[in-house]
Amino acid sequence: MSMFTYAGFVLGVMVVVYIVAKVFKLSTELSMFAAALGGALAGGFWIPTRHIAEGAMTYLDINLIFITATLFMNILKESGGVAFAVRGILKRFYRSRTLLVILLTVLLLLPGALTGAGSVTVLITGGMVAVVLETMGVSRVRTAAIVFIIAGLSAAAPPVSLWAMMTAAGVNMPYVGFFWPLLLPCVLLSLVTIFLLGWKGERIDLERALGELPQPPDRMGWGKVFLPLIVFGLLIFIGRHWPHDTPVLGLPLMFACAAGTSFFLSPVKLDFLKISRETIKQLLPLIGTLTCVGVLVQIMTLTGVRGLLAVTAVTLPVALVFATLFIVLPVSEAVLMWGAAPVLGVPLVLLFNNIGLDPIVALAGMSVIWPLGDALPPTAIIGRLTVEVVGFKEKYTQFLKACIVPGILIMAVGTLMVIYSSHLTFLTGL
Amino acid sequence: MTFLQSVVSVLYYLLVAYVVVLLVWNFRRSRKWDEEVLYIIVLIPFLLRLFRLK
Amino acid sequence: MTGRKFVFAACGLLLFASSGWSFYQSRNLEEQVVLSPGVTEVKRLGDYFDGIRGTVNDCYVYIMEGEEPGGTVFVMGGTHPEEPAARLAAWLLAENAEMDVGRMIVVLSSNRSASTATRIGGAYPPDFTIATDWGERTFRLGDRWANPLDQWPDPEVYIHYPSRQYLAYVDIRNLNRTWPGRPDGSLTERTTHAFMELIRQEEVDLFIDLHEAELQYPVISTIVAHDTGEELAAFTSMMLSDMEFNIGMEYSPPTLHGLSHREVGDHSDAVSLLFEAPEPFLDATRGKTTREQLLTGKDEFVVKAGEAGLLYEEIDESGWPMDKRVGRHTSTVLMTLELWTELNPDRPMRARGIPLYGEVLEMGLGHWLHDPAAAPPDRVVIE
Repeated sequence: MSMFTYAGFVLGVMVVVYIVAKVFKLSTELSMFAAALGGALAGGFWIPTRHIAEGAMTYLDINLIFITATLFMNILKESGGVAFAVRGILKRFYRSRTLLVILLTVLLLLPGALTGAGSVTVLITGGMVAVVLETMGVSRVRTAAIVFIIAGLSAAAPPVSLWAMMTAAGVNMPYVGFFWPLLLPCVLLSLVTIFLLGWKGERIDLERALGELPQPPDRMGWGKVFLPLIVFGLLIFIGRHWPHDTPVLGLPLMFACAAGTSFFLSPVKLDFLKISRETIKQLLPLIGTLTCVGVLVQIMTLTGVRGLLAVTAVTLPVALVFATLFIVLPVSEAVLMWGAAPVLGVPLVLLFNNIGLDPIVALAGMSVIWPLGDALPPTAIIGRLTVEVVGFKEKYTQFLKACIVPGILIMAVGTLMVIYSSHLTFLTGL
Repeated sequence: MTFLQSVVSVLYYLLVAYVVVLLVWNFRRSRKWDEEVLYIIVLIPFLLRLFRLK
Repeated sequence: MTGRKFVFAACGLLLFASSGWSFYQSRNLEEQVVLSPGVTEVKRLGDYFDGIRGTVNDCYVYIMEGEEPGGTVFVMGGTHPEEPAARLAAWLLAENAEMDVGRMIVVLSSNRSASTATRIGGAYPPDFTIATDWGERTFRLGDRWANPLDQWPDPEVYIHYPSRQYLAYVDIRNLNRTWPGRPDGSLTERTTHAFMELIRQEEVDLFIDLHEAELQYPVISTIVAHDTGEELAAFTSMMLSDMEFNIGMEYSPPTLHGLSHREVGDHSDAVSLLFEAPEPFLDATRGKTTREQLLTGKDEFVVKAGEAGLLYEEIDESGWPMDKRVGRHTSTVLMTLELWTELNPDRPMRARGIPLYGEVLEMGLGHWLHDPAAAPPDRVVIE
């Protein structure tokens, strides 16, 4: 049997197992795990425990970043820091719609940018920003679209962009030089989105808005909100300026330090163990996805399926790749979530590198498009979460329709970044 | 510096141990079978690191 | 705990125990070295720098003193243990080389920690076996980076010492990104610092770092030379391409830091060279990831990528067998020594016992791996 037939057969089995698992209402994570097991069996490897475990290890460090960063955000929220910040911004800027809209964008971008997960944005600041947007007269469906789109862009934004990190790791490329190529499109597209969908409205009813937002504890202040962030920033600064005079701390410990600071500064007594348990529960679908993606990719590599996809992708006509990026990337995200990055991102970056494009800018462009798939079935995790948090009760398709215009803009910007990446190389050196 | 770096490494093992405790706790409390399976899958890499096997 | 939970936990425990045992075994697999009669002294890396003594990277250093004095060559294998031909070529030297003139120093596991773990997500086999004239020998297949069990965590970004160049965070565990190292740095940085000490204390004239590369990587089938070794590398490349096989020559980029061909030359008196052989096993487009692919280098998918013009080295149905890759390295070492002696008659080096490319192809590299059971116990080392 030729390698093409063999790997094609294994791929077919994996797809069938995945579909069957989905039909039986298994979660995406478990469907991927089942597909991996099916692939290993079809490939003649039986149950390769070593490879399953090794694949599961792939994103251990990223999972630790996830857990500590979300723990930090949850402590900040439980201590009343987030509510305090939202209320403060509202009280100070409610007269200027422009300034308010910009600050709400920053609030939405921050949690996802720091943790790499759009769901953290939705959970931490999404609900409260939605309240403010509604008091500004923005319809609920548009509010949901704004929160979803910016949450997606926040996940793609630096410093932690999982799509870029995972793809870069897959092609042995340093995750360096991505800051501006990711930050600029994410910030600009977020602003365009919020102005496009949230500009029209009415004057803010401050009393009503403040009444609907949670009340922070009396002793909460800006210092208590900012100090943990300052600690985090300081640790990054120290690590970068005196790398050879200080021990390596790593991002998880830095986030843990920020979480600890937030915990000790909290004006209310917090149950650390309870918040930790809830953080793990809240993150289970995400860390579960990353773990199962690792297993799936390992089995795909073992059986040659990854090679089959890679060699097929890199030998396709380039024009066809460019023309279909806008649909292929979101669909792959909808099916594999972050698994799309190592499975599809790696061969595409190899192809772009081979034809002389700038792999960093091209990958940044792809990373901006990928999160759109989080609203699409079968997974639609972030889309569903947003609709739930914002409290949009109508048809899900209406929410999707509201996302179309900013979605098209994001696809266009991302695709153009890929095509013209070699002209944008200067962004990597800023 | 080498000593300080060892201290940081130990802190990471403690962090992993804490996550293991949380995962096991949540696994015991969980009522949904698919969530239970996922907790077990997620637990494996943390256990392998904690026991210094991988 | 409900019965259902018990079953799930039992399955998890089984997966943990079974995989954990496999990881433990491969981390502790014993690799034997039957010392060549030419090996006159076996030292450890910790003898040159105390900061590495007793660590996983305190590897053996095999020294072959020639009958006549001359220059000193240091051949390093195992920088990236996932490039096994580089390690095996060094193995052939340790088991067969004898110096007539000058001195040879050989290291087989320069990043020993990296040899104890396979790459996550890479689906590598834990080890591979080479058939010999008397039986077989099994070797660990490692990773490109040191084992996180020996060096954890990674930084948010890796800043190279002393250039302060920003590199990928994971490369703080990559031996070929941490040269020249520093005495109070990470394990990998301390390891390269120890090697720099070895190079200085042993007054090494010529340093050779053996590697393999994926065919989709532009630096392949070549000798990368520090400025001080350009002439030697150019002559070696010309002679080999004319007499044995095609091999190129490239200049070490002065602005790319942490690599041996740059930093060893910059921070010591040694001339620094790096040899690359082709390894289709490392290609992202490779098919099934198996021991067979590792040893034969045959891969339909990589051939297909080659047909699409995406590779920097040729490949056909015959692949890139291990013998061919190891033979390229041994022949390149021999040719380099010969030409070094012509260019530096005051510090000559002459070796014997090392098989040439054609000989390795004809008899198989297993022919030069000796039976530990038949050797005197004091001439067998567990690497």
